[in-house]
Amino acid sequence: METLPQQPGILTIQLALIAVLLPLLAAVINAFLRGKTNKAAGWVSNLAILGTCLLSVTVFFKVWNHTEVHQQWLWFTVGDMEFHAGVLLNNLSALMLSLVSLIALPVHLYSTAYMKGDGHYKRYFTYLSFFCFSMLALVVTDNLFLFYAFWELVGFSSYLLIGFWYTKPKAILANKKAFIINRIGDIGLLTAIILLYAQYHTSDIAQLFSNGTTGAALAAQMSGNAQWIACIGLFLAVAAKSAQFPLHTWLPDAMEGPTSISALIHAATMVAAGVFLLGRFYPVFTPTELTVLAVIGCFTAFMAATIALTQNDLKRILAYSTISQLGYMVMAMGIGAYASSFFHLVTHAFFKCLLFLVAGIVIHEVQHIKDEYQLDIDPQNILYMGGLRKKMPLTFIACIIAGFALIGLPFTSGYLSKDSILIQSFEWAEGKGLLHELIPVGALVTSWLTAFYVTRLIVKVFFGEFRLMEFDPNIKLHISDGNWQYRVPIMLLAICCLFPLFSYNPVLYEKAWLFNGFPLITGLDRVNIYHTIIPVLVNIAAILVMYWAWAVYMKKKALPLPETGFLFRFSYHQWYIDELYERMIVKPVMALSGLARWTDRNIIDGFIHLLANIGIAGAKIAEWLDRNIIDGLLHWLASLVLAIGNFARRFQNGRVQYYLFSMIAVILAIFIFKTLF
Amino acid sequence: MINLSDFLVVSAGLFCTGLFIILTKRNAIQVLIGIELMLNAANLNLVAFGRYDKIANGGQMFTLFSITLAAATTAVALAIILNVYKRYKTIDPDKIDSLKD
Repeated sequence: METLPQQPGILTIQLALIAVLLPLLAAVINAFLRGKTNKAAGWVSNLAILGTCLLSVTVFFKVWNHTEVHQQWLWFTVGDMEFHAGVLLNNLSALMLSLVSLIALPVHLYSTAYMKGDGHYKRYFTYLSFFCFSMLALVVTDNLFLFYAFWELVGFSSYLLIGFWYTKPKAILANKKAFIINRIGDIGLLTAIILLYAQYHTSDIAQLFSNGTTGAALAAQMSGNAQWIACIGLFLAVAAKSAQFPLHTWLPDAMEGPTSISALIHAATMVAAGVFLLGRFYPVFTPTELTVLAVIGCFTAFMAATIALTQNDLKRILAYSTISQLGYMVMAMGIGAYASSFFHLVTHAFFKCLLFLVAGIVIHEVQHIKDEYQLDIDPQNILYMGGLRKKMPLTFIACIIAGFALIGLPFTSGYLSKDSILIQSFEWAEGKGLLHELIPVGALVTSWLTAFYVTRLIVKVFFGEFRLMEFDPNIKLHISDGNWQYRVPIMLLAICCLFPLFSYNPVLYEKAWLFNGFPLITGLDRVNIYHTIIPVLVNIAAILVMYWAWAVYMKKKALPLPETGFLFRFSYHQWYIDELYERMIVKPVMALSGLARWTDRNIIDGFIHLLANIGIAGAKIAEWLDRNIIDGLLHWLASLVLAIGNFARRFQNGRVQYYLFSMIAVILAIFIFKTLF
Repeated sequence: MINLSDFLVVSAGLFCTGLFIILTKRNAIQVLIGIELMLNAANLNLVAFGRYDKIANGGQMFTLFSITLAAATTAVALAIILNVYKRYKTIDPDKIDSLKD
């Protein structure tokens, strides 16, 4: 066919492949470096991700809004079936490719300073590079089975990094929890992939979803049961990876890992893999299933936001806020706001990563104070912080920008993406009845709750007086924003949280360039009143809520909810979901395994032990026979010989006269004998 | 008249006395004396039987050799006893039993 037009495509594919493989190369090099704290590891990983970043952006500009590039190679053959593996670069994967590497670059730089004193510096960067490789490969692969493999690798590297400080029992519990919950999702994804393969006999994502197949057509082709089982499987995968309602409990615990890891994996990239999966497999879902998705996303967003209101652990608040924002994205997928969902994914990645990096700096500095004065405090607890804005102005400004983006105030990127989701949710619910209206209203309430907890967080950390002074008035604060490895990443990310990166118009999301890249665009025409009234309403209410929160926490007015009230406790204990799982699932499973253990120990082992004891008894009898009969005969013979010998040796006593006497006695005896006979 | 049998009886008595001394005495020199007695009993026999060889006097000649040899062996035996005494500080033949098994 035409070879000439394919030339730039092949170049792009090669660039993308190199971009994906560079972090793997870095991980391999780091694995073979000598020394646990080898500083070279950091620079190897940083160089690799810098290269990846440049290549990804190049690939992005080559692919974005051009024809998609798809290159395949024969992977293996089973019978007549050929399996191809390759690279698929369309708008979606090019966007994700550059997003992941753009987020990973500042995090890598930040990590060189954050992990500086750690005893396992080299291992950290090995894992980090390995994660980057898995995530980038997941984004560009075109084969369902390879997709599954990288999906697993991403989960595995997340497991390694959550449990990075493996001497902390809490970290070990957290990484086990994350791994087990992700297994549930993995089973779902595998089921869905097998069903899809059984239906279409191809594992090629491009062939399955990109040939203009509309959702309804693809869904209609599948038989009823297979279709909804596949969708449940996909939903489980999304819920486990992106921490949606029934399977979200691992994400807050995953904050036991290093903060830079939380920023990259558990806020910006890996947890977005679930939403990315939804985007890839979007045509499989029927409208009803999409509605269910919207309901679950909305519920998750609301639930996580209410929990975030009362948490005291800095990273835990951010983790629940991540769950809440992921809920937004899933809801947006559910209501058909496909492009908005990805838009929010991109903006969220930047501002949530920034928030976590800021949290990392704050925790790092509080940890320093803790170590210096040997205080018995939790360095992540926001109740011990306060007044840090004077000491860390840059961190403070970055946090304000990221916080405002999270709330969705104008001039930030969050405003553009969040409002597009809200507006489209109202448009979607219009005319569908009162129950459907709950979804946009829930999303709206969630955005105000977000405003409240973000304000609470910022006030508790950066305003007021430093509360540790109350413990020990002698504390001298010589904390700062840190060195350039801290400053440069947060400045970069803070710039990415503002509107100019996404749209020239700071208030109208419809102008954002990102929407041009997706096929299923809705809600771009300003046809109805929602496009004006909702942003205004949301933001005015959000500012009022923020003032309220400011008043509550800054001026020490009465709390909106008493701390002993049921609602407060319900939120503080995270809706008792962990306790519920503990009682409903963990306990029965433990009881079942206890029963299995008992059966194993007493019945199966008992039988084996019985056999063993019979064998031992037989051996004992044989031993007795051997010892007493066979050996006994020999010993008896030996002692007989010994007795004879002892008898004979009595004559050899060395006394000459005795010899002589014996001789005469014998001669006499012979003579007597001869005489007699 | 003294018969040959009288000589033989005296000789047998001497021999038995010598044998008794050898078997019972706790002193190596006395044992040596017992040996001499037995030797003399034999010599007496030789001399007594010598009357049947009046031409060559073989019995008497043999006895002379025997007495000479006895003197030599006694000298050697006394030297051995002296050395034994030096080594073991005793000449009781019962005590000198280091050659037993």
